[in-house]
Amino acid sequence: MLTRALVPLALAWSAVLAWPVAQAQAPTVPVVAPNQLRAWLLRIHNAASHHNFQGTFVVSGGGGVASARISHFYEGPNQYERIESMDGRQRKVFRYNDVVHTVWPASHVAMIEQRGLLSSFPALLQAGDDGLDEWYDGQLEALDRVAGHEANVLSVRAKDGHRYGYRLWADRASGLLLRADVIGEHGEVLETSAFSDVSIGVRPQTETVLQAMRRLDGFLVVRPVFTPTRLDAEGWTMRQVAPGFKLVRCVSRQIEPPGEASGAGPAAPSVIQTIYSDGLTYVSVFIEPYRADRHVRPMFASLGATSTLSLRQGDWWVTAVGDVPPATLKIFAGALERRKP
Amino acid sequence: MSAGSQDRTGGAECLSALVDGEVDAVAVLQACDAWRADSEVRSTWHAYQLIGDVLRSDDLASSAAHDAGFLVAVRARLVAEPVVLAPAPLVARKSAEGLAPPESALFGNGALALLGRGHRAGRWMLPTAVAAGFVLVAGTFVVLRPGSLPQVPPAALALADVAAPGNGSNALRPVADASGKGVVDATGAVVPAAIIVNGRLIRDTRLDRYLAAHKQFAGSSALGVPSAFLRSATVDAEPR
Repeated sequence: MLTRALVPLALAWSAVLAWPVAQAQAPTVPVVAPNQLRAWLLRIHNAASHHNFQGTFVVSGGGGVASARISHFYEGPNQYERIESMDGRQRKVFRYNDVVHTVWPASHVAMIEQRGLLSSFPALLQAGDDGLDEWYDGQLEALDRVAGHEANVLSVRAKDGHRYGYRLWADRASGLLLRADVIGEHGEVLETSAFSDVSIGVRPQTETVLQAMRRLDGFLVVRPVFTPTRLDAEGWTMRQVAPGFKLVRCVSRQIEPPGEASGAGPAAPSVIQTIYSDGLTYVSVFIEPYRADRHVRPMFASLGATSTLSLRQGDWWVTAVGDVPPATLKIFAGALERRKP
Repeated sequence: MSAGSQDRTGGAECLSALVDGEVDAVAVLQACDAWRADSEVRSTWHAYQLIGDVLRSDDLASSAAHDAGFLVAVRARLVAEPVVLAPAPLVARKSAEGLAPPESALFGNGALALLGRGHRAGRWMLPTAVAAGFVLVAGTFVVLRPGSLPQVPPAALALADVAAPGNGSNALRPVADASGKGVVDATGAVVPAAIIVNGRLIRDTRLDRYLAAHKQFAGSSALGVPSAFLRSATVDAEPR
């Protein structure tokens, strides 16, 4: 009786074993046609919203390590997400479609955001007019394994020195991004983000996300306000941008962290944030009135792949931030010009 | 087939690793492929199993004839088994092919179409049964030896050293980068990057606000995975 059960099992196994062999051989050839790069990136991008997954995500770079527990669920068109930071001050993020709650349980502060205005990034990738192929090229490398999953490895090389390269590990079955390295100008790894473990295809537990989003009693709720604006309307001109970068958005906003906005003396002046992107990465340029007590001296700092450059320009304080080489930030910060009143 | 003579040595190593349950899924596929294509690989595999058996228990160090006798008996029993779904074809095939179980009788589904090409199914049956066996063995090894799984990706740990040299051309560098470990304090909380400007050390928490505001934009980044949340979590994690 047992043998009769074993043979079907054996046959099923061999079917499972034999089938992917033919498939496994194709991706080991390292070629990506130029127009395929976008297809790969889109596959990775779409996988994140069309799978239910749960795992621990670790980001390390510049000597720092941070990890978080991530759960992502989808049901029909609805997206649910729960991210819990596991290092330092406790912080939880809940997302239901465009509504994002960031909760700091220790200080009883909750920030509620509408993501629509600030997150048009994926649309940019999909629009296909970003000139991605002009600034990056892609290469498939040999299959690898990340967090227990087989992964296609896509090496995205920057074609000039104004941006960084990437190495991306995407789950072979689902396309989910399992690991991403940011590669510096000399081929060094600046920052690594990776799942240390992840379960793909878990049962969606959407109610746990929604319940947490309803529980805000006793929390100080902050709703940041972003006002769309234009640089020229604010009296500024950007004379040139780094090659490949395009204006994505310009908003007027507060950048004080929640909890400090109240009771910190006079209300901080709002800041103009202008965002430029080359399709894969982006740069923010902040402009605010110069204040001698706050803006002591010009600064440059790098943390992992992210660099920050601050300098004074007359009565103004300009800060450029982005995952780009310092020279790119200098172009942006130096090209801002105050229009004569 | 994929098991050319040039990679036979590598194949043997791969088989050995497979016996120890130390290869990934891709290598398992390749090993199975080689095993199917190459009789030498099959005998190597058998030898490895035998070695393993003897090492585990003297009781398993029986003669090959014992195994062969067992297999013959299994085959005989298989042929003799009544088939519930379609007994009539079984009888017909039995007389025609001897050992081959009637695949169409066993399965009405399409799984077998991948394997069963007429009379070849008979030769398939045993190898695949053994293949299934070693996959199960490999799986068992993984389950039984969780300690052999990588706990911390060494690459991530080594990253601090890799990233530290960076692009050292710039005069203004965070101290954190120079030492490679200044960013995390004793409690594990991430403190703001300390910055050397004109040779003097300053610390600017305002930097973090720009970082947080910048990262906010990428709430869902180009690649869809919310690493930006995390990186702003890094920024945000300092005690205020």
